[in-house]
Amino acid sequence: MKPRDMSAPLTSRQENTVTGFWPWFLQRVSGFLLIFLVGVHIWMTHFSGLSDVVRGHQEELVLFEIVKQRLAQGLFIFIDFSLLALVLYHGLNGMRNILLEWGPAARHAAGMTAGLWLLGVGTFIYGAWALLAFIL
Amino acid sequence: MAFSLRALSLHAGNFQDRYSGTRSGWWAWFLQRLTGVALVGYLFLHIAVISTARAGADTFDTVLIILQKPFFVVLDLFLIAAVLYHALNGVRVLLFDAGIAIRQQALLFWICMLLTVVITGVAGYFSLPLIFRE
Repeated sequence: MKPRDMSAPLTSRQENTVTGFWPWFLQRVSGFLLIFLVGVHIWMTHFSGLSDVVRGHQEELVLFEIVKQRLAQGLFIFIDFSLLALVLYHGLNGMRNILLEWGPAARHAAGMTAGLWLLGVGTFIYGAWALLAFIL
Repeated sequence: MAFSLRALSLHAGNFQDRYSGTRSGWWAWFLQRLTGVALVGYLFLHIAVISTARAGADTFDTVLIILQKPFFVVLDLFLIAAVLYHALNGVRVLLFDAGIAIRQQALLFWICMLLTVVITGVAGYFSLPLIFRE
């Protein structure tokens, strides 16, 4: 089998898929928002109830009933679903950035992007279904 | 392996930082990717763990009690360190995109490292009762 010529320049369409403005811009916007969302998430799950656990008023930091009570508040429903969507976008777009540094992947950027979108949307639906166990 | 080696070699090259003469810029880039990939892996595990709630409150609690044992609290501290570095270096990159502090990139890298260590240390200090409880 003849090896693929990796030195050939990308076509303008391939180039545009690889270096588009929107993935770059949205990676920054989602990253910025995630600083606050992940901050609140880690604080609420690991530190806000810490003194209760240390004093023995509460058995563990995270148990079904505790999460359920938190998700009875609209604000936390909003935070958790935003977090799920943004972290999936940011994480999978980051993977895309890494993959696109590999020549052969850059040549199949459109298909790879579609595949990652499919994975992201599928995981969002699965994660939302899991979260709804605490809400409905 | 060709993938990672090629990607690394593209950046590792002989790229000393123009202003600092060190390779902190390469390390900042490399650690951003390393923590990013690790966090994506963790994300899928995290969603899988949360989905045990679908099997009922008892199943969720059984899994979560195991995952809050001291060994996992220590692992959580590595997670916090990865999140902190990734977020802090992310802000560093945002500054450069805005044309701010590019000449101070090496200094900013070390500030990111220092804050990561300090804040993880504080989180670790407050987690000590969870690590050493009976």
